[in-house]
Formats: sequence, structure tokens, C-alpha cells
Amino acid sequence: MDAARLRTEIKELIVTELNLKGRLPQTIEDEMPLFGAGLGLDSLDALQLAMSIEEKLGVRIPEGEEAREIFRSVRAIADHVAKVRGA
Amino acid sequence: MKPRLWVTGLGLVTPLGVGVEATWSELIRGRSAIGPIRLFDASAQRVGRAAEVGEVAVPREPRGAWSRTSAMALLAAQEALAMARIEPARTRVGLVVGGTTAGMFETEQLLARLHAEPEDGERLVDLLSHPLTSTGDCLERRLGPFIRVRSLSSACSSGANAVVVGAAWLLSGEVDAVVAGGCDGLCRLTLSGFNSLGAIDPETCRPFDRRRRGTILGEGAGFLVLEQAGRASARLADPVAELSGWALGCEAHHITNPAPDGHAMAGVIHRALARAGLSPRDVDYVNAHGTGTLANDAMEAAALARALGAEIDRVPVSSCKGQIGHTLGAAGGIEAALTALVVARRVLVPTAGLDEPDAALGLVHVPHVGRAVPRVRAALSNAFGFGGMGTVLVFTEPAAAAARKSPWQERGDDPGHETETGVVTGVSVAGALGLLGAEACSELPELAPRENPAGLDPDEHLDGDRARRLDRTARLAAVAVERALCDASASAGDVGLVFGSAFGSVDDCARFMHRIATKGVRAASPADFPNLVPSSPVGHVSIYSRMHGPAFMTANLATSGEDAFAQALQLVCAGEVDRVVACSSELRSEIVERAFAPLFDGLRSSARHSDLAAAIVVESRTEARSRGARVLARITQVLEWRGDGAGAGAAIRGPNSARPQVICARSEDRVEDFVSRTPWRSCQRWFCSRTLGESGALGAAAICVAAARLGAGRVSEALVVGLAPGRGYAIVLGAP
Repeated sequence: MDAARLRTEIKELIVTELNLKGRLPQTIEDEMPLFGAGLGLDSLDALQLAMSIEEKLGVRIPEGEEAREIFRSVRAIADHVAKVRGA
Repeated sequence: MKPRLWVTGLGLVTPLGVGVEATWSELIRGRSAIGPIRLFDASAQRVGRAAEVGEVAVPREPRGAWSRTSAMALLAAQEALAMARIEPARTRVGLVVGGTTAGMFETEQLLARLHAEPEDGERLVDLLSHPLTSTGDCLERRLGPFIRVRSLSSACSSGANAVVVGAAWLLSGEVDAVVAGGCDGLCRLTLSGFNSLGAIDPETCRPFDRRRRGTILGEGAGFLVLEQAGRASARLADPVAELSGWALGCEAHHITNPAPDGHAMAGVIHRALARAGLSPRDVDYVNAHGTGTLANDAMEAAALARALGAEIDRVPVSSCKGQIGHTLGAAGGIEAALTALVVARRVLVPTAGLDEPDAALGLVHVPHVGRAVPRVRAALSNAFGFGGMGTVLVFTEPAAAAARKSPWQERGDDPGHETETGVVTGVSVAGALGLLGAEACSELPELAPRENPAGLDPDEHLDGDRARRLDRTARLAAVAVERALCDASASAGDVGLVFGSAFGSVDDCARFMHRIATKGVRAASPADFPNLVPSSPVGHVSIYSRMHGPAFMTANLATSGEDAFAQALQLVCAGEVDRVVACSSELRSEIVERAFAPLFDGLRSSARHSDLAAAIVVESRTEARSRGARVLARITQVLEWRGDGAGAGAAIRGPNSARPQVICARSEDRVEDFVSRTPWRSCQRWFCSRTLGESGALGAAAICVAAARLGAGRVSEALVVGLAPGRGYAIVLGAP
């Protein structure tokens, strides 16, 4: 799967899994911070997203500090997924 | 002067032992009961450790009725009544049961199968232990009669909340004694859910330790017998301690995360002390909620620092959860009982596992083992739950209490809440006919029944961002609550919320367990799990509408709406809060229609079911007057009973005006039989199910319609009757 399609898939996952009604996946920028001032997600969202990435994309997100790095942005999540799949 | 309340009996079942003494001796030694789970296969779980009670003899008769939870509750309630030397057959005793799981352990796997393939038949009797009401019903069969039984949940503060409800009943004089507390058994659903939230420490539970990484689940039951001091001393009962203050309130912040600044919970602690007529200088011990999660312990330390001020450097704080785990709905009951014992025995219970206290918390600790102290004048017991629902209890030495002036004496006036009457100032029904305020509700009986399967889209009335975590039950509830408050021209603020639901979110529990059964425990959804807690609609609505008052859910089968209304009125009349919204919201559910409703309520499954929510704003007449609110109806009489209600019919005040009407949820033979034995027998009847379809929320809708018709002058008096097997309500409303 190419990188752009993977990022689109992750954005769609964010919108549907976290029930972000009124937010179109394409308006989430690749580098946009997911938490706080960016998309405004919180720790409960991060947990839900980790579960659905594992379920839908087959890649497990590590817990703790590592997860914080991976959940920085859509691009960071996509890079992690690609890295694990490529390994 | 308000009566003082004594604790005259205690009962405990904990992972440390069955019975008060077994638990106490192990607790002060500092032994931890945390270990690998044996009750069920937890090998696939992130963390498979817990504090278990071990083998519990679960009664087998009647088949399917008893759960582990109820069996533990029976032992604890029995011990408490025995210690208090109270026989329910000879005195007016009320029972209040707090909890979150009831028979979840016994029914979760059957529900997972029912999710995949709904079935009827004989096996469904195994669902009898599922509803929260099952524990109260089992206890009533063994220990009753009780003149009143309430089953409630406010997540992890349920047990403490039960104590507050019991205290309110005692103050109103409607019962002579209460047995109140909490109970919860370990189950796969809660373990999977807490694991999905990453809230469980992989090793053990270390409250306040800088290495703490989460809580550990426990199980058990804790009940207290409370009675008025005058009555207890007249029968020469020994007090364990006095329950001298309490408060409850809601953070309205987040469904799982506590508000970091501790501001709201500091307010609850402050109000509990004020109710007791105490200052932080009088407090000698705090039994903390202390779950061992990073967030809870930080919030709690912040709340204590705000509430106790400089005294925080003097007052020892400890948590039992390092030894018995987080017993969820039981925690508030177990820890209230232990806090009363701390006052009585002058021994502070320890925090086990606390080797490296987190200096950032700034607390004084009782590490490892219990500590004897010269006296404990006053002790706090904290309990906080998902959705930010917090309860704080204050226990004091009974002797010291007798010497101290009561806060009511000092003010020189009794606030007069005992004679306070309630009024209805706003109503709303949200369902197949759209969103109805008081005016539309008043016209419902004149409407022809119509089919409108599309129903109401709650999202048209809600702020999408703020509502994104609310499931449909909570969305419908939020729409109805906001509309009712708007109708009452009341802002949310300190308003309380009592939510009635017969079975909670059965379908979602079944779906959650089915996912785990088919995809493994790692598929447990952290976003869905908080919505499975029976009180989740209360948490969600209070967060959505920013309501900070007392908030919890109650369950009483098909009469859950009437139950929530009665409870809301009791909170107002006891002076706990000026204004409460009673609400009910139920979705169509194949499992409820096919299995639960016929099994528990004898309701025909052929009825046309629909999604429905209804909300009623109840406030004191004084409050309504002082703010110049429009009053829809006066609440003239509320009767609730257990059993067949044979004597209740004659006790109902008769209609003495020109246009009375009987308005009930649904047309049933039992309702007709009942009304025919009341002074209302010749009055016109109207049934909500005719226009609204069948729903568990019909009881609340009936009260809405009755109040609205009174407000519009369409009727002069109204009687609402709600019946389910073994319980009933009669509510008489008068013109404003």
C-alpha cells in the first residue's frame, strides 16, 4: 500500500472510530498535532485509536512514551505502520 | 433540630476475609490479597491479576436469581444487621444497594451468544441475576421485608452514594433504620475494560507511590446499618461511629479522566465537612479513594490540599486498594465501614506497597501497617467514579458529637426541608413523535396514535463535538434533559440528575463481550467500555450539560422512571439539592424485548417498541417561588412499596376536584386491578404506550404528561401508577 493511501486510511479511521462528526478526513493534515491544540484528541482517544489500528491495520502500537511519539501526527502513525509492516 | 445518625452495624466481605474482624485484622497487618486471577481464564489479558474473595457459596434457589455479587452482599448485609441487632420483620428498615455489575459474571457469556443469535426459551432464566435490581430482590427474599429498596449506581462511588441515600431516608423519618452499601463481583467485562484503558498496574496496586502505574481490581461487599441516634440509644444499641456529614457532586469534566485540578472534588469535601459542622482542623484521618492510577491520586491529592488547606501537612491519608484492590461499586461501602472502624478503634489503616511515596502529592502517609493513634475525632471516606461522580462521607466519634452543637442549632433555624414539598417546573419527552416540551406533552392524549419509525434524530439538537462520546441512550437523554431545563427556565449549574434504567445498556454489553469472544481481549474497545457502566448516561449528560449536582442512576425494572422520580424528590425534600432532573432513556433492544421484559416484568413482547427519553425537573417549592419559576404541578403524594401493594391502594389520596385523570405508562390488567382499589377507580384513564409505543422510559413519560396536563389546566389532578412484579409506585400530582 502506498504511503499516501495509508495516511488517508488512518484519517478515515480517526474520523469514524472517534466519532468526529462534521470533520472530513481530508481536512486532517498529515503533520497536524492530534492532541491538544491540533485535532483536540485526548488519552481515551489515543487508546481507542491504538485498538482500531491493531484491529484494522494489523499493527500493534506500543504503550507508554513510545506511543506518544507515534501518535504525534497522522504521518508519524503511518510511518510506524509502514516500518512494522516492512520489518 | 435534625436528628443525628449513628452507624450501629457493619458487614464486610473482602479479598482479605469474610467478616469485619477477618478483614480488619489482615488489613492492619498490611497483608495484600492481590494475586493471579483464578475465577476465570485471564491468561490472554494484559494484566491477569486481581484481589479475589475466593470461594463464595452462591445460593441456587430460585434458579438463575443469585450472582456471586448478591451472595457476597447477603453475607455483608446479614452481618451488619446482626451486629446492629435489627430484625427487619419488627421495624421499618430500608435497603439501599450500590453496585455496577450485579450478575455480569454469571451472564456475560450468555449475553455474548445472544448478541450473535437471539433466542427464546428456557435458558433465558439464567439472565435473572443480570439486572442491578437482582441483588436487592435476593436480599429482600432472605433478609426482608424491607419497606423500601433502592438499587443505584454511580460507578465507583456507588457504595458511598447508597449510604447518602440511606441517610436522606432516615432524616425524612420514612424509615427507622437503613442497611446501605455496595457490592461488586469480579467479571471478564470489567477486567477487559480496565485493561483496555491501560488502567491496571502490571504488578500490584501502589497508591501514592511514585512507581504506581494503575489500579488492581478487587471484589466484595460492604454494608452499614444506620439509624437515628435517639432511636438507637433508646434501644440501647452501641454506636460504632456517627455519620455526621456527607456530600455528593459531579465534576462534569470527562467520562474516564478526573479533572486534574481537583477543584470540584475539593468542593464536595468542603460541603461534607460543612454539613458535619466541622473544619479541617477537626479531621484526623482521610480514607482516600486512592486507586493507584497516576491521574486519580494526583487529582485526589490536589482536592485534599485545596479542601484541607494547611492541615494537609498534619492529616494522615491512606488507601486500602493496595490490599483489597479497587472493589468498584463495593468500594464506597467497604471503605465507609472501614473508616467508621478507624474512628471506633483509633487505628489508622495502612497503604500497602507504599515504599517510595510520590513527593509531588504532598501527603502524610500510613505506609505498610496500621498505626494506633490517641484518637480519631473525624475521618473522611472518599469515593470517586467514572464520569466524575464523587461522594465524601464524614464519620466522627459519637461521644464527641453529643457534646458538639449541631450545625442546625448553631444557625438557630432548622432549614425546614423535612416539610418541604416538591413541584415540577419542566418536562420533556423525546422519541418517535419528536422533541416535546410541556405544551406538546399536555396534548398527547388528544393525539391519534401514529407510526413514525424515523423517530427523533438527537444529533439535530446537540453540539456534535461535545456529544461525540455519547451513545444514543445518552444523546436522547441529553436532548430531553436540556429541553426540560429550558422549559423550566433553569440553568444547569448545581442541578442534580437521577437517571432511571431497568437493564442498562444490555445490547452494548452483549456486543462488547461478543467482540472479546470472537476477536480476543485486545479487541475490547476503550471508548465503548465506559458506556457499559450503568451510570454512564448520567456521567455523559452531566458532562454535556455541565451539571455539578448529585448524579446517579437507579434501577427498578419497568418502574425505573417512577423510581428515579421518587429518588429525585427525596433528594430535594432532604435538602441535598434544590433542583434535580429525573430522567429515563431507553432504546429498542431485541434482547430486552425477547428476554428481559417478559422474564422480569411479564411484558408482552408483541408490543411496538420505540426509542424514548423523558425528563422531569423537580425542585423545592421554596426554590421555585424564590426564582419566580412557572410551576406545572405540585407533587402531592408519592407512595412506593414492595410486595403486591395490597395496602397501598387505600392510602392514596382521593381526587377532590372536577377533572381528575389517571395517567399510566401502559395499559395492563395489573394497573386496572390496582386503580380499581383506589379512590380514583371511576376516573378517566390514559396510557402513554398508546401514542409513544412500548419503552422502558414510559414511566417517566407518564409523569411528564401528567405534570404537563396540570400545567395547561387540562386536568385538575392526576394519578400516575407504575407497577412491576413485587414493587409499585403511586404519584399524585395537583394543580400548581
